[in-house]
Amino acid sequence: MNFAFTDEERQIIEAFADLCKKEVEPRAAEVDREMKFSWENLKALAEFGYLGATWDEKYGGKGISLPVFQAMNIELAKACASTYLSVSANLSLFGHTIYKYGSDEQKEKLLPAMTRGEFVGALCSTEPSAGSDVPAIKTKAEKKNGKYIINGTKTFVTNGPIAEWFVVLAKTEPEKGRDGMTMFLIHKDTPGFSVGKPFHKLGVRGSPTSEVYLDDVEVDESAVIGEVNKGYWQLMNVFTFGRIGIASFSTGIAEACLEECIKYSTEREAFGKRIAAYEEVNFKIADMKVYTDVARQLIYRAAWAYENDKPDAKALASAAKLFASEMATKIASDAVQIHGGYGYISEFRVERLYRDAKLGEIGEGTSEIQRLLLARYVEKVYGEG
Amino acid sequence: MEFELTEEQKMLRETIYQFSKNEIYPNSKNVEYDTKGEFIWDNWKKMAKMGLLGFPFPQEYGGQGASVMDTVIAKEAFAMGGADAGTCLSWGAHTILCGVPIWQLGTKEQKEKYLTKIATGEWIGGFALTEPGAGSDAASIRTRAEKKGDRWILNGSKMFITNGPIGDVFVVIAVTDKNKKAFGISAFIVEKNFKGFGVARELDKLGNRTSPTAELYFEDCEVPEENLLGPLDLGFVEVAKLILEWERSCLLAPAVGAMQLGLKRAVDYAKERVQFGRPIIQFQAIKHKLADMYVAIEACRQLIYRVAWMKDQGMSAYLEASIAKYFVSEMVVKMAYEEVQILGGYGYIKEYLVERGYRDARLSTIGGGTSEVQKSIIARAVLGLSGREIT
Repeated sequence: MNFAFTDEERQIIEAFADLCKKEVEPRAAEVDREMKFSWENLKALAEFGYLGATWDEKYGGKGISLPVFQAMNIELAKACASTYLSVSANLSLFGHTIYKYGSDEQKEKLLPAMTRGEFVGALCSTEPSAGSDVPAIKTKAEKKNGKYIINGTKTFVTNGPIAEWFVVLAKTEPEKGRDGMTMFLIHKDTPGFSVGKPFHKLGVRGSPTSEVYLDDVEVDESAVIGEVNKGYWQLMNVFTFGRIGIASFSTGIAEACLEECIKYSTEREAFGKRIAAYEEVNFKIADMKVYTDVARQLIYRAAWAYENDKPDAKALASAAKLFASEMATKIASDAVQIHGGYGYISEFRVERLYRDAKLGEIGEGTSEIQRLLLARYVEKVYGEG
Repeated sequence: MEFELTEEQKMLRETIYQFSKNEIYPNSKNVEYDTKGEFIWDNWKKMAKMGLLGFPFPQEYGGQGASVMDTVIAKEAFAMGGADAGTCLSWGAHTILCGVPIWQLGTKEQKEKYLTKIATGEWIGGFALTEPGAGSDAASIRTRAEKKGDRWILNGSKMFITNGPIGDVFVVIAVTDKNKKAFGISAFIVEKNFKGFGVARELDKLGNRTSPTAELYFEDCEVPEENLLGPLDLGFVEVAKLILEWERSCLLAPAVGAMQLGLKRAVDYAKERVQFGRPIIQFQAIKHKLADMYVAIEACRQLIYRVAWMKDQGMSAYLEASIAKYFVSEMVVKMAYEEVQILGGYGYIKEYLVERGYRDARLSTIGGGTSEVQKSIIARAVLGLSGREIT
């Protein structure tokens, strides 16, 4: 057992936190208001070496461990949840898929350029009528003369409007259900491929989301990522990784709320005292401290388990995601409450955090789906013997 | 970061689990002890023989020299194997609350005289801090100790003392210099046979009924001066510093084990129980509860292990211990509630141990510093507030 980061790891995390605070956070309000992804942020993150930091050095990575990466993720999400979400969809969904399942050629072509922030990628699984129920997707890839012809519509695609490359999940043998889906790598300029207008959303407005349309998109066999008909299972593995990333998203937002509440409650006075002195306020803040701390512990553990291929990695990722996302919406709500009227206006950071937090309970598997996955696991593990 | 138990730790867990399941559970599952409020002596003797009662103490004093982490692992496995909460509580009060201060603060003579007897279980230990009028506000205790010749004369009463009715030796906290407030309170080792010491009454209670509790009285109780434990006037501060972290990790470790056993019981029941034509585990409402229980267990274990690990590294775990105490105890209560809910009527009757578990769980958010006290500690640390400022 070792619950601590090494000194070197701590230095990396602190330096990164510093960068996020100085470079990324000052743009967060504008990114949200203008509904624009910040390429300046991406550039700064690339310069730091954060993009693809967990990857092997031959692809431009730094080979850092997953718990350290998640600690960095929390700092970025704390600074700007929108930027984090886009970068995370880029790295932890799109990039991780390529890194884990891509061919050498795909990896060499994409990963080093990603670490330099030259483009961002997106992953398309969800469709208008298939979200949690992934096997219900309708997008099809039909093989004709050694080529795949892909047709379908994807939605809620994070980075849809800004991505250059897409991972698309499609049915190659529909009758085989989960064992009949394949992942494809598709460039945005491929004929028949197009993206919709950015959606207007409740929160994370600086992370553009859209529909993606595939109309007789033709790709070679070399566009297949990993194995044919294994796409669903590959996606599930990537989601496990991605879920830990969403847990970090939520934890970053919750910690930002805590930060704001500490500041506000120790300055604001009511009835002759700083409001921090009232238990009605400071107990809420104590809870924020406790719950963000617990979430971090679950995240580190899940990240470690994933990195070391532990049999409970998937369950721990779901646990971290479920716990972190639900505590974050509660904390964000309490943070607005502590700020009173000020918490409700956009000038104050907590107003944005409140809107941003909600996504955590929905993206990459709703809370309800996490609970079903966990129950299945519990039935198996605790129901034995 | 690394979250793997060593092979030895895995073996320790398995050994204690099997011991508890085969030797302790047959007694613990007998609800008669709980109903009558009886201490399970047979469990105690077996635990003594197994070396559990002095587990973390050095071998020269009859202990096993176990690390805090190993102690926590053993306690978790002990409860997971089916040991009742009362037995776990008495063990905690004995080894952690009474034994640890003597081990850490005692003189060589005190350790030889008392720690060895505690380690072997020959004597049962207890810790007497709380009073009828001083619980969370521990520094407001009134029990006085006055020096007369080569003795200390103690006067006052102590409340809610675990192992009170059966204890042979107690670490007792008393005021030695009223003017110095928290820095004028000392610790003493008091034997039950000392003149002027007695059990005022045994207390009947909601749960943990196999762990007897008493109010103790001290009427001109004579304590030899060599039984002052730790520095004069600073004994309370020293003991508090010491046990708060030990208590907040080790005393809750069995709860994490009990939660795992509870989840297993709930899963087994939900798979068997058929309503509306299908096992109730097939209903999402039940599945969701099971999932939440799993998340709670994983989170709680992580928090407890972290405090234990930090203590083994010689780090201060003041805030982490409060976080663990607060979060774990709240989850214990919640889990017990859900377990009863899943078992429905069967969860409400004595035959199924779930009813007892529900009553046992309720202590966790009260003993060892209430949830409110923990929140106050955490809030003050986070906000940089003084106690006086709080409203």
